[in-house]
Amino acid sequence: MITFKDVSLVYPNGTQGLKDINVTINKGEFVVIVGLSGAGKSTFIRSINRMVTPTSGQLLVEDEDILKLEGKSLRKLRTKVGMIFQNYNLVNRSSVIKNTISGRLGHTGTLRSIFNLYSKEDKMKAYDNLKRVNMEEKVYSRADELSGGQQQRVSIARVLTQDPSIILADEPVASLDPPTSHQVMSYLRRVNKEDNITTIVNLHFIDMAMEYADRIIGMRDGEIVFDGPVSEVSDKTFEQIYNRPIRDEDLRGSEENETSEQE
Amino acid sequence: MKLPNKNKTSENESKIYSVYPKKVKFQISIIFAIVLFWYFYSLRATDADFLELFGDLDVVFGKLIEMFPPDWSYIESAIDPLIETIQIAVVASTFAILICIPMSLLSANTIVKNKFIYQTFRNIMNLLRTMPDILLATIFVSLFGVGIFPGILALTVFSLGLLAKLLSETIETIDTRQLEAIRSTGGNIIQVIWYGVVPQVLPSFISYGLYVFELNVRASLVLGFVGAGGIGSIIDTQLNFMQYQKVMAVLVLLLVAVIIIETLSNMLRRRVV
Repeated sequence: MITFKDVSLVYPNGTQGLKDINVTINKGEFVVIVGLSGAGKSTFIRSINRMVTPTSGQLLVEDEDILKLEGKSLRKLRTKVGMIFQNYNLVNRSSVIKNTISGRLGHTGTLRSIFNLYSKEDKMKAYDNLKRVNMEEKVYSRADELSGGQQQRVSIARVLTQDPSIILADEPVASLDPPTSHQVMSYLRRVNKEDNITTIVNLHFIDMAMEYADRIIGMRDGEIVFDGPVSEVSDKTFEQIYNRPIRDEDLRGSEENETSEQE
Repeated sequence: MKLPNKNKTSENESKIYSVYPKKVKFQISIIFAIVLFWYFYSLRATDADFLELFGDLDVVFGKLIEMFPPDWSYIESAIDPLIETIQIAVVASTFAILICIPMSLLSANTIVKNKFIYQTFRNIMNLLRTMPDILLATIFVSLFGVGIFPGILALTVFSLGLLAKLLSETIETIDTRQLEAIRSTGGNIIQVIWYGVVPQVLPSFISYGLYVFELNVRASLVLGFVGAGGIGSIIDTQLNFMQYQKVMAVLVLLLVAVIIIETLSNMLRRRVV
């Protein structure tokens, strides 16, 4: 369970990233955060693993206020909270398996990790997770030899190898084409259901949010302007969140409809 | 390029036939004139006369002819100093490579977020680089006496400045998103460096290391002239005795050695980059 209590964040340059956020996300939920760019989606998601640090309020992850964590306890939090990025952020020159097993870093001693002395279970885990995202044939390929969709799948495997209880995905499909986007979202959705991992995804595509989310949180100017289950959401809701009529670019398009807009 | 203003097309039309604005053209001409003037002034002030050089050509050729034929028998006694030179270069490069790793990490803003530490190490690095190798060698020779130790020390300091600068600048241009990903898995700073930084900079690092080694081989030669050991010392001695044929033999030997070393290191470099 993740609980935001009056969480605000002001960046050093004075920009208000989050304004008095109060929200609770339950174990196993698949939450999609929607909003225009600059609405605070990224800041929201990055607060949960403390890639950014809110300036006031309380943020509870599994009943622990994470805003005060430092050093070792902060790293321990990050092992529980996996993150997927828009640009995959794989280490380009390293192999797929090395990228995947780096998910174990938080659980592995410094010296052991430098000399690649991972336990057999860890190596099995990395391999099994690559298999789950259908990447087992590319184990020894270099990350930069893969296509965007493949790289994002490896990054899902990396996160799974962490054994997280929460997965954060920051615009995971913004750099992908529509069919690949759906593939990646399906993997995230499946992992969420099969492993009961709380998943929070930032998206700006309305149709994808509707298709995959249990619950949608809408953000504008650092505030939550909508929060509810997908069943309560209509086009009107999005117009409210975006504060303007819906446009073509707000839609990713379906798997068949490949001709639609690409970024 | 200045584009014609839409409202005043006729007036500005002539300007678009020049790639540079008039003002820039004028400034460039002025700068060019100043540079040219400076050259001629320097030539006069230092009494460097090219005509005189051509007039003295016979002396130059005379000296050159004196160097031939090279005294090949001398090569045998030049081998040991040559090996010493290479040893100096190897040891100095190794020290520099080892010390430059922490140094360049501490002076890269992608790793060190603390401005004070970052600036301190930047400044140390810049200070190291301002000192020419020959000056360093002279200082160390006067401190520790003639021998290879001051040579090693001088080259270590000299190449450390260069190497740390090159490496830290490479570390500053890496993709920090990859580091972010490692940090987000709960990795500590050493793991972030090992898994995120090292793969990104390793090819450049190896290439810089080889480059510095080549540089050190050549530099250690010059350092011999100020008493820092190696093949430079015997060249210096033979020059003083005006044994030009022996000097020529040593130079040929050196040329071969440098070519071999550079070929080897180029081969190595091509394999890693």
